[in-house]
Amino acid sequence: MKSIKEEFFTDQEIVKKIKEGDKDAFCFIVDRYQKGLINFIFHMIGHYEESLELCQEVFLKVYSNIDLYDRNYKFSTWIYKIASNLTIDHLRKSNPRTDSLDELNEDDEKKIDVKSEELDPIEKLEKKIVGKEIIDAIRSLDPHSRELIILRHIHFRSYEEIAKISNLPLGTIKNRIFRARKELVKKLQKVEMKQNRGLKRIDKMEMKK
Amino acid sequence: MICKKVVELLPRFIENDFSEEEYNDILKHLKTCKRCKKEYESMKALIDKLETIPLINVPPSFKDAVMKNIKKGKNGR
Ligand SMILES: [Zn+2]
Repeated sequence: MKSIKEEFFTDQEIVKKIKEGDKDAFCFIVDRYQKGLINFIFHMIGHYEESLELCQEVFLKVYSNIDLYDRNYKFSTWIYKIASNLTIDHLRKSNPRTDSLDELNEDDEKKIDVKSEELDPIEKLEKKIVGKEIIDAIRSLDPHSRELIILRHIHFRSYEEIAKISNLPLGTIKNRIFRARKELVKKLQKVEMKQNRGLKRIDKMEMKK
Repeated sequence: MICKKVVELLPRFIENDFSEEEYNDILKHLKTCKRCKKEYESMKALIDKLETIPLINVPPSFKDAVMKNIKKGKNGR
């Protein structure tokens, strides 16, 4: 079981144990990466339950392919690469149920209610403590741009690591991230303009009263 | 420095990736050019928004579920 000592093993040391047949050691990998991966997948596919299922798949794949792991890569790079491949694949195959938070509000109100304890952060998003505009904007990007923005600005990965995860040259990655940011700014400005127009309309209605 | 050059450098500038010379030139430009200043501010606001998106919690049962699946050993190994 978990001992203090094991908490301080490097990823590489844990991987070595797993390769030697110590299945239990894998729980340290899960410990370290579950939160990051679930968040990554959730923002990619926009569906909580599905992101949990997909994350399960990612860990199973990581485990069953651990012999293929190349020590020249950072372990985190490898694990995100697997997550990225499975997620993009998932989006390609399924008609993604990327519910916008608006739809969540209307259709899944009960569902959210029942699970509100578990889904606390989603609830926070729902209640607009955090701008839901930004989350909707990320979801409206094409999957590859979405992935780059999530890795860079929600997961704080370096450009170098993102380049390795995506198998693309550093320059290309930077350009694509810069372009995606511009696209997001434009999308947010559009939303803001719409909201302002709405407010003006309400003002006018108030005045007529 | 001209606008075109500033706009080109802004994405790196925003992430604190610049030489001292670039830094001074860009600052000087932003003080006087409204358009570039606006571009800078909207870009900065976007990154601030992105970086304050809260993380979703992991259900406590998640890790056990993963380990159970692994121990079933249906995935090779
Ligand atoms: Zn300018």
